[in-house]
Amino acid sequence: MNFKKATLVMLALAVSSQVSAHSRWILPSHFTLSSERGEWVTLDATASNEVFNVDKALSIDPLSILTPSGKKSRPSSAYKAHRKSVADYFIEESGTYKITNNSTPSYFSTYKVGDKRHRARVNKMELKSLVPANATSLQTAYGLTRIESYITMNNPTENYAIDGKFLELLPKTHPSEVVENEPATFVFTYNGKVQSGVEVEITRDGARYRNNPETLTMKSNNKGEITFTPMHAGRYLLIAEHEQDAKNKTLADKEHGGVFLTFEVQLQ
Amino acid sequence: MSTLFSHRAIKTVLLVFLLLLVSVSQSSQAYESNAGTLAIKLELKQQQGEYHPPYVAVWLENNDRKSVRTLLLWRKEPKWLKDIRRWWRNVGRKDAELVDAITSATHAAGSFPLSFKLTDDEQHALTEGDYTLYIEVVREKGGRALLKQKFSLNNQTQQFTLKETAETGEITFTVTPLGAKT
Repeated sequence: MNFKKATLVMLALAVSSQVSAHSRWILPSHFTLSSERGEWVTLDATASNEVFNVDKALSIDPLSILTPSGKKSRPSSAYKAHRKSVADYFIEESGTYKITNNSTPSYFSTYKVGDKRHRARVNKMELKSLVPANATSLQTAYGLTRIESYITMNNPTENYAIDGKFLELLPKTHPSEVVENEPATFVFTYNGKVQSGVEVEITRDGARYRNNPETLTMKSNNKGEITFTPMHAGRYLLIAEHEQDAKNKTLADKEHGGVFLTFEVQLQ
Repeated sequence: MSTLFSHRAIKTVLLVFLLLLVSVSQSSQAYESNAGTLAIKLELKQQQGEYHPPYVAVWLENNDRKSVRTLLLWRKEPKWLKDIRRWWRNVGRKDAELVDAITSATHAAGSFPLSFKLTDDEQHALTEGDYTLYIEVVREKGGRALLKQKFSLNNQTQQFTLKETAETGEITFTVTPLGAKT
């Protein structure tokens, strides 16, 4: 295989790992608020490949809201519709809130029987006992995907609360200070250390109404950073993925981390 | 009157208070008297249809894009302050006291001759250097305009004309440094 073919195959693999599951997001009604007494926000959660048109309701059971003063909080009410889940929350402190909808780390396995691909939410040991004798291409990944967004009322604070596990996004440009035609920088860490080579896609709202989704694709540099300059104000979805060999291969072959960040780009 | 404080104590307190008052006003006068003036003729355009008077912020940024002075803030409810996007992002949300101090009511379309001392938010005269004047006008159910004009504060009087936008008519502003050569 020559270099070109090898690159193409690698690209195809890289792309397929990104499109294998629906994009997921949590979309707040407001990212920026000004108030003396607090404001309500509504959060939409969905799994959809069309930024920001909803498709399948995403469970918001794990929804957690970290207040600027560091308290963990839950929405005051929630509703699961067919195409989206909706939660209401009252923002009462000045500062930045971190909204997350992360499940716990889990195993994800795939295998083939003949040409047919199968999936199972089991670890490598369980997979071996589960598959038929003629199964091939057994592959197990252990990982965590984060679904997050930030809301800022009045003065922004750096309420990022990184927990040092799997892939994480640490804003260098504050999420409430991303502005059209100005560079913004985010840093990626994996297990708490800056991670190079993280694959990132950033798509602006309204993809349904453009022939070209105008997705920006990039990889984090050796400081774990991506820097991009959004050309338009609006709401954006950032998808980041990183995969590496598992250290202990007893239960999984690969480790995987993902981040879905929803943020707004403001007018100049 | 007679029960809590002696007359002498009250007199002393009053004297200290008066002295403080005099020294504060003197010092601010001292600062301001060292400063030139900035005159702006602000034109808010007449609009068709449903009309809400615009929220307006006018401020000065230095060469590092840091705000040194908010000259004017016309607004109503705090809820909509965020819509004065650039001023809110860079200035308003970071200084609640300034917002309270500077706030005044909104005005319907018209012509507004305004004059300010060339000082920073603490009433210290601005030093010579490069500045940018920003005017941001936002109307509920209407548009937004962000106007900016760079100027160098030196010993020259300068006049600028800002072109008409959908929200503003032709705006002129004049920088007159103290003891300016014309």
